[in-house]
Amino acid sequence: MTVKDFVLGKTVWRESKRQTAARPRLRSLGTGDWLAAVSGVILAFAALCALFPGWIAPYSPTSMEADRVLLPPGAAHYFGTDYFGRDIFSVVVYGARDSLLIGVASVLAGGLAGCIIGAAAGIAGGVIDLILMRFIEIVMTIPGILLALAIAAVLGPNLFNMIFAVAVSMVPGFARVFRSQIISVKGRAFITAARSIGMPAPRIFFRHVLPNAWSPVLVMATIGLGTSILTAAGLSFLGLGVVKEIPDWGTLLSQGRGYLTVAWWISTFPGIAITLLVLSGNILGDWLRDRLDPKREQR
Amino acid sequence: MSSNRIRRGKITVLSMIALLLLLTGCQTEPAERNPDQTESRTASAPLSDSSGENTVKPAGGELTYALSTSPDSLDPHRSGIAVAGRVFRTIYDSLVAMGADGQIKPWLAESWDISDDGLTYTFKLREDVKFHDGTPFNAEAVKYNFDRILDPETKARNAAAMLRSFESAEVVDDYTVRLHLKERSNAFLGYLSQAYLGIVSPTAAEEYGEDLVRHPVGTGPFKFVSWSENTSITVERNEDYKWAPGTVTNAGAPYVDRITFHIIPEESTRIGSVQSGQVLLAESVPPQNIPALEQDADIELYNVVTNGLPFTLFINQSREPWNELKARQALLYGIDVDSIVKSLYLGYYERSWTPLTPKMLGYNKALENSFSYDPDKAAALLDELGWNVGADGIREKDGKKLTLHYVEISPNREKRNDIAVMVQQQLKQIGIAVEVEITKDYRTVVFENGDYDLYGNSMVNTDPESLRSFYHSASTNVAGKQNLAGMKDPVIDQLLEAGTVEPDPEKRVQIYEQVSQEIMDRAAVIPIFVSPYTVAASKHVTGLNFDFLGYPIFNDVVLQGK
Repeated sequence: MTVKDFVLGKTVWRESKRQTAARPRLRSLGTGDWLAAVSGVILAFAALCALFPGWIAPYSPTSMEADRVLLPPGAAHYFGTDYFGRDIFSVVVYGARDSLLIGVASVLAGGLAGCIIGAAAGIAGGVIDLILMRFIEIVMTIPGILLALAIAAVLGPNLFNMIFAVAVSMVPGFARVFRSQIISVKGRAFITAARSIGMPAPRIFFRHVLPNAWSPVLVMATIGLGTSILTAAGLSFLGLGVVKEIPDWGTLLSQGRGYLTVAWWISTFPGIAITLLVLSGNILGDWLRDRLDPKREQR
Repeated sequence: MSSNRIRRGKITVLSMIALLLLLTGCQTEPAERNPDQTESRTASAPLSDSSGENTVKPAGGELTYALSTSPDSLDPHRSGIAVAGRVFRTIYDSLVAMGADGQIKPWLAESWDISDDGLTYTFKLREDVKFHDGTPFNAEAVKYNFDRILDPETKARNAAAMLRSFESAEVVDDYTVRLHLKERSNAFLGYLSQAYLGIVSPTAAEEYGEDLVRHPVGTGPFKFVSWSENTSITVERNEDYKWAPGTVTNAGAPYVDRITFHIIPEESTRIGSVQSGQVLLAESVPPQNIPALEQDADIELYNVVTNGLPFTLFINQSREPWNELKARQALLYGIDVDSIVKSLYLGYYERSWTPLTPKMLGYNKALENSFSYDPDKAAALLDELGWNVGADGIREKDGKKLTLHYVEISPNREKRNDIAVMVQQQLKQIGIAVEVEITKDYRTVVFENGDYDLYGNSMVNTDPESLRSFYHSASTNVAGKQNLAGMKDPVIDQLLEAGTVEPDPEKRVQIYEQVSQEIMDRAAVIPIFVSPYTVAASKHVTGLNFDFLGYPIFNDVVLQGK
């Protein structure tokens, strides 16, 4: 046996081994699941912060003390203090509420609106489909953050407008995905069968089309949660956010910007919080997609 | 596949080289322009570095100055904002100049004579002055300027306010002009020294009309070159200049070839540009960056006191419940100015106690430390008025919540929006719900609609007479019916009027001390801080001066080692 043959044999053996036995099971319970679990814990912690910030935050997020301004992170103040003399850890904990609220509410609102438009277009087809989808495409030509910026600038800064602005920027994605999903389900044999036995259209839709079409939307919503939190933080950073006593993460990020060379911790920690939350949302979304993807099991 | 990738790599490298060439090409462009400028300079003025003598200043170079906001106009009579004033000072001269010490020196006027009743000012003008467009400066030009400011068509803002006591100008001969006043005004010469009363070329004003805003023509040490909106303003040296004011040492043309004012609103970018050497000077250094810049061996930090009215929170006393003295006093005791100044400005800004800044005539030193932060007293005062704390911690009276509408300007200049955030928290402690409105459109909200309970403002000015536009009942710049404080008080009105016409400086001091006292007794305002004008300068820049108002003067500036 030559060296070359040996090497080749080894490689092929490895390849075949990976392909046959070990691969599917190990992968499906591997890093992906582990990461998803961590993401879940992070999201749960964020939700806990949003619901019961008083349990976690050691200080009031609004108490400003002139004798503790710009303190670096330490035992007394885990994330340090800002130039008002506020404890940044406490502000970040309390700020989770608005960030999550905006994220969840805008995904729900934008997702619902998008799905209704997508479903209407998918079921009706023809001219209605054409009109609705061209409209959605027009909205899509405007970048999401730009659309949200324009809406926030016109309507003025308050929580509802902010949710509305972020929600509108999410509508096109949901509408397109849901429409194509509806169309693909609509064409399957079991729908034709249902129709042939004289099932009324609404019943077909709710009993057969909807349950088979919703899973990609769920994935989109999970990933969209991260996107919308990011968009909202972007709006706050640009000063189009909500003016309120407890700053959300985007506002805090923006407030600390001028102090980056002096007190890096003001902007860094809310930045990490946004990153973690968005990343967790995305990882969980990916994991969900893998789980809900019927093609995966066939492999 | 692999060859394809290599080709793509090659293309990337090539395009990067091309981009690099393009970039360096852009950079060399201004350098190429420099030689012919040096030529014209050596031809006209004996400023070249050819002689070995130390007394001859090395000349030339471009001075770059980073401004924090954009001027609104380059027509001095049509603007009132400080940042525009800094640019006007390079393009326009005034009849007289005021040095950092507050002394009046000759400028376009060689000498002047004031009649005993203080109503007539006769100015003898310099005869060798020419506008940038080549037209001569004379008595007619001066008269034209004053007529222009008073013409309602001009829509002069600040300039017209300063000429309140002015009546008419009279041309005596070509180089003598007489100004008549309606009433004695001690502030008049000081006003004449300000850039907003700078002399514009009558020919240019006629030619451009409203458009003088973008085509400024004056007699100043620098000529206007270009203004690209929100980016930069460039002025170049006026070679003919030989009429510098008595407040600078270089009587002739300035040493630098040109000045480019870059508009960089973002604080950290602005300071970063001077640290990296992209610009030579940058204004408005945020307090948190001061320690690092002080350590920087390549940077000189100028901290100039500005004069006038400090940054003051005006309580709109035309609105309920702030029409009640006790309610306003509750604000005065309930806002912890010390901790605001300490937290936000880290000890680099001085706290203010009176409606005037410390260097102003009539500053009332007795008001310093005359009251202190006392939330209990504030709460007691509100209790007395019948505002009782409700379930949510906010006071109520007859089913109405005690709210305060605080208007602030976006963008956040000098951390003023952060003051609002702190005031909101402090007043919450005494049961007042503060709604902070941060708006770009403060002109509509505050000055047209008068929709505010609290609004902060400051003013750079030469004379305490400027208190009139904020506190005199005849000043109706807010909603056409009131002053910023919403004050209609005969005692204050009378004092302010007396201060304008009183000839005896000693008595004037007393009058303005009393005005400050009366204003604070009425808890009309909450003075916050005296704003310094800070400039971070490269060590290459020498000879930078500032006038009484804190405006930079570039006549003596020399670029060394550049």
